[in-house]
Amino acid sequence: MKEALSLVQRISAHPDSCCWFVSWSPNGALLASCGGDKAVRIWGREGDSWICKTVLQDGHQRTVRKVAWSPCGNYLASASFDATTCIWKKKNDDFESLTVLEGHENEVKCVAWAPSGNLLATCSRDKSVWVWEVDEDEEYECVTVLNAHTQDVKHVAWHPKKELLASASYDNNICIYKEEDDDWECQATLQGHTSTVWSLCFDASGERMASCSDDRTVKIWKECPSENGQGNLSWKCVCTLSGYHGRTVYDVAWCELTGALATACGDDAVRVFKEDVTASPDEPVFSLVAQETKAHSEDANCVSWNPKEAGLLASCSDNGEIVIWRFKEEELD
Amino acid sequence: MAGQQGAEDLFDSILFADERFRGEGYQEGFQRGTQRGLHNGWRHGASHGAKLSSEISFYYGFAISWKCLLERQSDDRSRKRLKALEALLNLTQKFPLDDPQSVKLQEDTEKLRAKFRQVCSMLNVPTDFKDYIRTAEGTSF
Repeated sequence: MKEALSLVQRISAHPDSCCWFVSWSPNGALLASCGGDKAVRIWGREGDSWICKTVLQDGHQRTVRKVAWSPCGNYLASASFDATTCIWKKKNDDFESLTVLEGHENEVKCVAWAPSGNLLATCSRDKSVWVWEVDEDEEYECVTVLNAHTQDVKHVAWHPKKELLASASYDNNICIYKEEDDDWECQATLQGHTSTVWSLCFDASGERMASCSDDRTVKIWKECPSENGQGNLSWKCVCTLSGYHGRTVYDVAWCELTGALATACGDDAVRVFKEDVTASPDEPVFSLVAQETKAHSEDANCVSWNPKEAGLLASCSDNGEIVIWRFKEEELD
Repeated sequence: MAGQQGAEDLFDSILFADERFRGEGYQEGFQRGTQRGLHNGWRHGASHGAKLSSEISFYYGFAISWKCLLERQSDDRSRKRLKALEALLNLTQKFPLDDPQSVKLQEDTEKLRAKFRQVCSMLNVPTDFKDYIRTAEGTSF
């Protein structure tokens, strides 16, 4: 088990600041990071190492909390505590600021692109989730403001196949939204976590969702036909991973290629879980297959699997570092 | 009354005077409290009702004015905006203003405020109408 997670490179990405989030471009060639220094940095591989290709500065007045690539890889969105979301367009090897989305009352906590690339979701401490539509002229227009949460909304994520949006909040709940009769509605509220839900992600099929929380657990939710239902789906918690994490679990990432589940935790550890394939799909079993207990010297904030290169994992931390890991299962060693 | 019944009852009336006066005092206090409560409640209701009504009416006026401004344009963008304005108007008209005990009051208010923010964003109007819209305060991580 010790050999399962090996260090590829440690990068001082946002020196003298913290690194909040990392995101791989859809083709896996670039890694975007953002942090307390108000900047977004783009990293690319050169030879055996990852180097900084570009720094996107002057876009934001405060901390950049999250970054997201458009599915085509030509646009980058950055969400900031300055209450705005910047859209950047790739031009050759550089990025230029295309537009700034305003509207949230205060800190924007997350931004996510729908798989179609036509919709963008943002969420904020103002308790609302906004969905924006992009037209052919690269104009962004707000199509809905959703107020289903009663507290700060921490994270938004799109379903990989359907136009379904999930959000995680400080009110301990997860909300699922869907467009219904020309307007967006909260379709389901998932209760189960006993403290802030920090992040969530879908698996490759979209049938399941993993969420992580301040209650030190990770929960796996499965889509199932609702009991009273006319077509509406409900989500059931089918598995809770508890006892592994010593502190708040800040992020969870489900690898599209291998199905491995990685977590970033406030106890400075990066962990990888694998599903027992023999278990019933209604009662999945996950076991810890790798962990790096001193991944960074401070809180691990985010984990992200490379979408093209199986096992390549990036994590980042409050100490401003990004670490690139390679995850290999034991039997392959 | 008690005195007419004899010496024993005389003592009774002294003995139970404490209780009797307490009872009367309670009744009197209860009545005064009820009146004051009603008065306070009425004032609270009136002030909140006025606030809510002025907020909703503000949205209504806002939507009507913008609708008039945009109605003559036929481009795609204006039509989208008009559609959102119509939705806002619809919400203000359906709003249960004359039913303060409606269970949907809170939900409808939230919906209307959300729609207003969306419309403002589409129209590029800053939502800085502090007198009409409550704003969140404080800090978070």
